[in-house]
Amino acid sequence: MIFQIIKKEVQEILRDGRFKISFFIVLFLLVASVFITSKQYSSINEQYDSAEKNERTVWESQGAKNPHSAAHFGNYVFKPKLPLSLLDQGVDKYTGISIFLEAHNRNQAQYSTATDQTALSRFGELTPDFILFFIIPLIIILVGYNSFTKEIEGRTFYIIKSQGVDGWKLVIGKWIAALIPTLIITTLLFLIAGIILSNIKGFGVFSWSSFGILYLIYLIYYFIFTNVILLISSISKKSGIALVSSLTFWVLACFIAPKIASNIADSKYPYPTQQEFSENIAKEKSEGLDGHNPWNQKSKELEEKVLKEHNVNSVNDLPFNYSAYRMQKSEEYQAEIYAKHYKKLKNQFKKQSSIYKTLAVISPFLPARFLSMSIANTDYQSHINFSDAAEDYRIKTQAFLNGNTEKNSKIGERYVASADTWKDLPRFEYTPASLSEKLNENTSNFVILFLWFSVTGGLLFLTNKNY
Amino acid sequence: MFLYNFKYELKSLLRSKWLFLLSTILLIVMLFAGYNGKQKVNKRIEDFSKITAQTEERDAVMLHVLDSLEKGLEVNMSNNLLPNNPMNVGYRYPKVAALQPKPLTFISVGQSDLFTHTVQPKIYGDNFSYNYSELSSPVQLLFGSFDIAFVIIYILPLIIIAFSYNILSKEKEYGSIKLLASQPISIYSWLLQKVTFRFFWLTLITSVVLLITFIINGFDFGDNMGAFLSLIMITTAYILFWFAIVLAINIFIGNSAKNAVSLLGIWVFVILIIPATVSQLANLAYPIPSRTKMLAEVRNVKKEIAEKQDKILDNYLRDHPEYASTGKEINYSFWHRYIASQNLAEAELKPLLASYTEQIENQQSWIENWQYISPAVIVQQSFNNLAGTSSAHYQEYKKQVVAFSVKWKDFFTPLLYKSQPFRKKMYKNLPMFEYQQPKIASMTFNAFIILFFSALILTFSWLFFNKKSEKGTLIN
Amino acid sequence: MIKTTNLTKKYGDFIALKNLNLEIKQGEIFCLLGANGAGKSTTINLLLNFIAPTSGQAFINDTDVVKNAKKTKSFLTYIPENLMLYPTLSAVENLDYFLGIGGGKFYKPELEAFLEEAGLQKEAHHKRIQFFSKGMRQKVGIALAIAKDAKVLLLDEPTSGLDPKSSNEFGELLKKMRKNNVAILMATHDIFRAKEIGTHIGIMKQGELKHSFATDQISLQDLEKLYLETMNLNEV
Repeated sequence: MIFQIIKKEVQEILRDGRFKISFFIVLFLLVASVFITSKQYSSINEQYDSAEKNERTVWESQGAKNPHSAAHFGNYVFKPKLPLSLLDQGVDKYTGISIFLEAHNRNQAQYSTATDQTALSRFGELTPDFILFFIIPLIIILVGYNSFTKEIEGRTFYIIKSQGVDGWKLVIGKWIAALIPTLIITTLLFLIAGIILSNIKGFGVFSWSSFGILYLIYLIYYFIFTNVILLISSISKKSGIALVSSLTFWVLACFIAPKIASNIADSKYPYPTQQEFSENIAKEKSEGLDGHNPWNQKSKELEEKVLKEHNVNSVNDLPFNYSAYRMQKSEEYQAEIYAKHYKKLKNQFKKQSSIYKTLAVISPFLPARFLSMSIANTDYQSHINFSDAAEDYRIKTQAFLNGNTEKNSKIGERYVASADTWKDLPRFEYTPASLSEKLNENTSNFVILFLWFSVTGGLLFLTNKNY
Repeated sequence: MFLYNFKYELKSLLRSKWLFLLSTILLIVMLFAGYNGKQKVNKRIEDFSKITAQTEERDAVMLHVLDSLEKGLEVNMSNNLLPNNPMNVGYRYPKVAALQPKPLTFISVGQSDLFTHTVQPKIYGDNFSYNYSELSSPVQLLFGSFDIAFVIIYILPLIIIAFSYNILSKEKEYGSIKLLASQPISIYSWLLQKVTFRFFWLTLITSVVLLITFIINGFDFGDNMGAFLSLIMITTAYILFWFAIVLAINIFIGNSAKNAVSLLGIWVFVILIIPATVSQLANLAYPIPSRTKMLAEVRNVKKEIAEKQDKILDNYLRDHPEYASTGKEINYSFWHRYIASQNLAEAELKPLLASYTEQIENQQSWIENWQYISPAVIVQQSFNNLAGTSSAHYQEYKKQVVAFSVKWKDFFTPLLYKSQPFRKKMYKNLPMFEYQQPKIASMTFNAFIILFFSALILTFSWLFFNKKSEKGTLIN
Repeated sequence: MIKTTNLTKKYGDFIALKNLNLEIKQGEIFCLLGANGAGKSTTINLLLNFIAPTSGQAFINDTDVVKNAKKTKSFLTYIPENLMLYPTLSAVENLDYFLGIGGGKFYKPELEAFLEEAGLQKEAHHKRIQFFSKGMRQKVGIALAIAKDAKVLLLDEPTSGLDPKSSNEFGELLKKMRKNNVAILMATHDIFRAKEIGTHIGIMKQGELKHSFATDQISLQDLEKLYLETMNLNEV
């Protein structure tokens, strides 16, 4: 019986000219977007590869110089583009692509794509995630808005009812039928993406399980949309009203709610301005240990402490280069200040996240979007992880360089390290968070998404009493 | 016919509660958007006054110290920080180069969430390394802001569509069109009038709602009437464009459900797909140079010049010029070499950086020309221009900051070369930053282009109409 | 008043109306009988210039309906099978609107008088149309004709779906209109009603007017017989 219902619904959909046109337009957009994104993906990765190699060569071939000079020469680390960004670009466009690591300062990632683009790009971009999140729900609306209302308007509903069909079977049949086009498009997209990804060798870590979870997230998102659209159709009296209500839901969930959330989050838990942020750090730094300034209050305290520990009277009698030691202590102190201030930022974002979760009540788009970005490793947290990894590396680099001076020279000596010193610095490694970590981070988003699914599903079955 | 259409259209709008519903929704949404915009502007003003106050306070101390120094009095400041050293003034007492909000900034966030609005160029360091990006959560940037521009560009067309998608098809489906068509009138002008009234009402409501929002936000109409009228003009043209589309679809398709779906498809195309495609095509025509590649090249240049710089100045002091002066006397010869090595770096990097900037500017001007392909893009660009938050405004800001930074450096270098200390009386001659607004496309021209779109659509709809009435498919 | 000469409408190869020659004078009620698709509605649509003729001409009050479409419409009133008026407006308001957009200007008492003349009870004059039955809506249509001082009334299946009482009332109304020297063309399936109120009857089939005669020349039984015979030729 359910099969009969599905068959009839699908026949109706297939015979609808609107549907055919939209289906092919969406398919075309999808293929175009995957093509464009995969081209960008591979060109970015090639550039990343060569830039990284170049950077290492530059670093290693500095020649003989003082390690602290090398610390100021610094090194750039580049953020790799991860395979699943092919499906969801997430916030990638808005985060910097590279961080300059140097002595004394923790720099922010710079050169986000968005800052180089015009305001035009804020309308949206032809990427698979744009189509997956915004356009495919429209297909669901197109197919499903009159699922029930057409039976009433065409009076066929009375005949169906007189045939003694079970209400729930009718709902299930219509539900499956409404999802079929979406399933075809989504599956096709993931298939193409899967083929492309498995053919790109040597770039990043690609895991099929993340890929599968991502597919699942989109499916749940579409299930929710189908639930809502059919629910609207079953309680509306006319197709026109059902259509307008469905579209209102779409605009509200996909456009308005995220923006409102972003505005509330910003006004309730604002970020400091760049200027304030660096001013505060500079102030705390100036109050603390300064590696270059032996007359500074904190420097004097450190000196006394070290002299006492080693039981000597002068820094000249210490078994190591005290100025390098002081430099390292100062680096560590400053790194702590940075860590503290960046932690404040992270906390602020955590609080902002709670706003996004609250507004998920009116928008299943929000949890789905966060989940998808997270699994694709293109969310804010992934960027934070990268920048933390870079900071770790910066601290290690400073320790390596200062340690070199400390070991190999005496205080007051003009020390020049040999040209092959720089090779000994380990390379920067960044491993993105694993799938299980990502899943743990996102339990609440999963719960919210599941709640959306079950509540809308439950309502759909409850309202079908009329049918 | 005109009067009757007007009277009864209004009557039926009032009775169906549409006007009331519409006005309420629009008012709530607009007030919220205006509030959001105003909050952001207030924060910007607050940040600016905070940093100005800080600077002034610092400068007052500096002037006091200078005064004491010039009178030969003892000062309570460590030697390496004394402001009689021009380099200390240039480094420790920078001026604020700020991009102040315009009176209309609250209507459109534009690119303002991406960039910082206060930069303090200092005498050390290269112009290349200024960070213009603002500290913000990328999630916020991704979702964007709920501002007045969003309401007008995205939501207003949807309201128009929801409001009038079936303006003709309803009559057809309901059957009243037959009676209408049997009257001695032209259905086209009847329809045109009906659409005109709705256009008139919606424009009136929107204008009043905007007026209320502006009044609540303390907008100064006296000085900025022109800008406000430009906003109303662009908005009106945009509303007209959507009504023209609604009219054309009603004639062309003529079935309510199909109308709604087609109109929505057009909405998606005009507002989402066309801008995204233009953006993509711009990348094809003028690919944005990869910053990754640029950084690699900068690194290579920097490494090469480091050797040359070493000959001019020891690398330690190059990295830490603030430790150069330890005694009371200013070490002028050190500073001569410092500036020489800085200039060297700047000169070597200039052509490389210029080639990148040029490519970005090429792309932006390409897009500037292609904006005219979609009224939504024109409106966005116009609003951003009115608000002073367009890409051009920030591009210009960066340029002017760099120019100011050069001016700032140029103020102090002659003093160094002439071995002169910084004196109190020079303070008032210090360069100040004042942002010069970039030239923007004329609002009237933009409105005209949108009107041109509407005229084109109306002409097509007239042609369809004639074709359809010939075939007789309009009524049956 | 209504005149057609060799009026023909083709849709590709399909002939919807073939060489129709018809003349209806003032004070005549011409009832067109025929099955669905016989060409009755096509005739009315052509007279209204809703569709353009393939060949031939149609005149209303000696005015060509194609060349002077607007002018001819000021002479006529059309009541479609399902006369739909604006549901949120009252009877008086609907009347005011339809008259107004055509350039007429009437005061409320006048409008009420028209409705009254058309037989709509007083209590309904200011009620919203959404509560009206089909019969009541048709009375508003007749009021429109009275107000316009229409010379021609075009009716498409006016009695289908009416209960016998309303149908009878409507017939009486048409007879009254006829006395006001209105030429009435009515397409209908209702042989009984056609015989009762019509002055002339035409039987159409496959776009052709097969028979045309004055009502008093034929009894109801003969009419029914003739009608069925004409229809049955179909099957041959």
